Amino acid sequence: MTSAPLVGLRAAALEIRPRRRDRETLLLLAAAVALLVGWISLSTTEAGRLAVGDPAPLLAYLAALGLCHLAFVVTGRRTDQVLLPVVGLLGGISLLFMNRLPQDLVQQQVGPLELTLGPLQLLWLLLSLAVLTVLAIVVRNDSWLRSYKYSWAVAGVLLLLLVFALGEEVNGARLSLRLGPLAGQPSELLKIILVVFLAGYLAEYRPLLAGMSLRLGVLRLPPLPYLLPMLAMWGVALAVVVVQRDLGAALLFFGVFLALLYLATQRASFVALGVALAVVGAVLLYLLQAHVRTRFQIWVDPFATAQGSGYQVVQALYAFGRGGILGTGLGAGLPAVSGGVPVPAVHTDFVFTGLAEELGTTGALAILGLYLVLAERGLRIAAGAADDFRALLAAGLTLVIVLQAAIISAGNLKLIPLTGVTLPFVSYGGSSLLASGICVGLLLALSDAGVEAPPPPGRPGPAERFRRRLAGGRERLGRAVA
Amino acid sequence: MDAFELLVWVLRLSFLGLLYLFLAYVVRTLWRDLRTSAAVADRALGRLMVIASPGGRPATGAALPLQAVNSLGRDINNTIPLDDAFASAFHARLTFRGRTWYLEDLASTNGTFLNGQPVAMPTPLGYGDEIQVGQVRFRLDRPA
Repeated sequence: MTSAPLVGLRAAALEIRPRRRDRETLLLLAAAVALLVGWISLSTTEAGRLAVGDPAPLLAYLAALGLCHLAFVVTGRRTDQVLLPVVGLLGGISLLFMNRLPQDLVQQQVGPLELTLGPLQLLWLLLSLAVLTVLAIVVRNDSWLRSYKYSWAVAGVLLLLLVFALGEEVNGARLSLRLGPLAGQPSELLKIILVVFLAGYLAEYRPLLAGMSLRLGVLRLPPLPYLLPMLAMWGVALAVVVVQRDLGAALLFFGVFLALLYLATQRASFVALGVALAVVGAVLLYLLQAHVRTRFQIWVDPFATAQGSGYQVVQALYAFGRGGILGTGLGAGLPAVSGGVPVPAVHTDFVFTGLAEELGTTGALAILGLYLVLAERGLRIAAGAADDFRALLAAGLTLVIVLQAAIISAGNLKLIPLTGVTLPFVSYGGSSLLASGICVGLLLALSDAGVEAPPPPGRPGPAERFRRRLAGGRERLGRAVA
Repeated sequence: MDAFELLVWVLRLSFLGLLYLFLAYVVRTLWRDLRTSAAVADRALGRLMVIASPGGRPATGAALPLQAVNSLGRDINNTIPLDDAFASAFHARLTFRGRTWYLEDLASTNGTFLNGQPVAMPTPLGYGDEIQVGQVRFRLDRPA
């Protein structure tokens, strides 16, 4: 009676064959040693003598990383072995920095406990690692993403409308959504939904988009009906800026969209058109929206309003200067100025500035190098993917992380106008950490050589069927006329 | 400079150094991966990536280097032998002529499929197209 489930269980147990992951072990050990030395450096600076402080948070974090690694080994997954150590090191650096900052920057009541910045970030990092590991191990096929792309799109739009209607305004941007005790930034989740939808849509329509064209002078544009998604995307990005005042998310959405469109069709004319649309949108917004104008003016000359709207950017530039080549050392940056941190939002949007001050240009370059490694690994996973959908999905998930890191670090450095997004895996914030965890978890699942094969390209999609019917009709008409 | 300052200085720089040591390990791993995949595809005109292979031979996920003329089928004398009950002994031929790949069905029992469509005559195909022989599915890829 109980034998059938037991046999099933035993079969499942037999199927699970532990597999060593030597590279991951080595890289994780290297990351752990680096983080431990970083922790000692921080505690020593803060205590004024050789000290390790209270290493419990770091040890808990390293133990969690070890558990993730162990879970991959025991279940015998043949996933990528570089992503987890890189993400682990980024998260560890974040943990060091959040423990170094004044703890009262964030205070939150969790059950009976009053948690501050450091413990909260540890909690979110652990949750993010858990999500990453579970996704990487459990996801064995992609039909739940592939087949329901329009359902995902609808969910995304609903989420967006929900924020438009009920969002709370923080620092002039309407980003967060509060449901009872839980608060989150839905745009973090939205970017993943967007990638899933775009990957499904572009994989289905790729032959059409890449094959046909509409001549307009020297420009070869896609046929008009297939331009609509681009216009819709443009509209969504503009709406996000106008209603939500979230320049960063808009830039990220549109950038990822253009990159995926180019990957799917390999046609530069689409990108040219998209960039042109973006420029038109930017000019329109500059003329119509006061906050966009302010952002732009801060970028052009922050020192004109150094005590007003430009304060944050000016302070960030000074912080980069204080850091120099080798940095001031963890814990030795400029201490709090009149009760507050020198750079506002140094734990979220300006975390790159804070790290560049304490670790110097050298450390900042190392952090950017980690994101480059993420990009290389993610795009290689995309290049080796079994079909179009998986390739586009892997590329999209990678780009979401890397593009976001590029946007915010360039904004911190005043290379581009500042747009508030988080630095993935490093900034404080639950939504951002969880979303980044989901991205890397899915990437790991996609890199697995043992996942189910994608379904065969059987029935052509609705657009292809429509086109064939049209062609058939034209042929019949031609025959009738003849 | 007193002893404490020296200590902090050493700790600071060793943290930075260890970050770069980690990066160096990672880059070494990436470099080895690149070299391995380059060696596998050496001198091949293209690759057949095995997307699905219920029989297990060739293994799913394998990348088979292609010559100018390749034959697929159940017989052991094919350049790409398949262990699949639905494949004929000499099932299909994949050839590189001029600048294009062509797929040809060799009057097989169950047919050869290109992107889900049956192949009736030698049909040109490009990188990224999907070939099905019996239950085995391949994707034509450029040489890596």
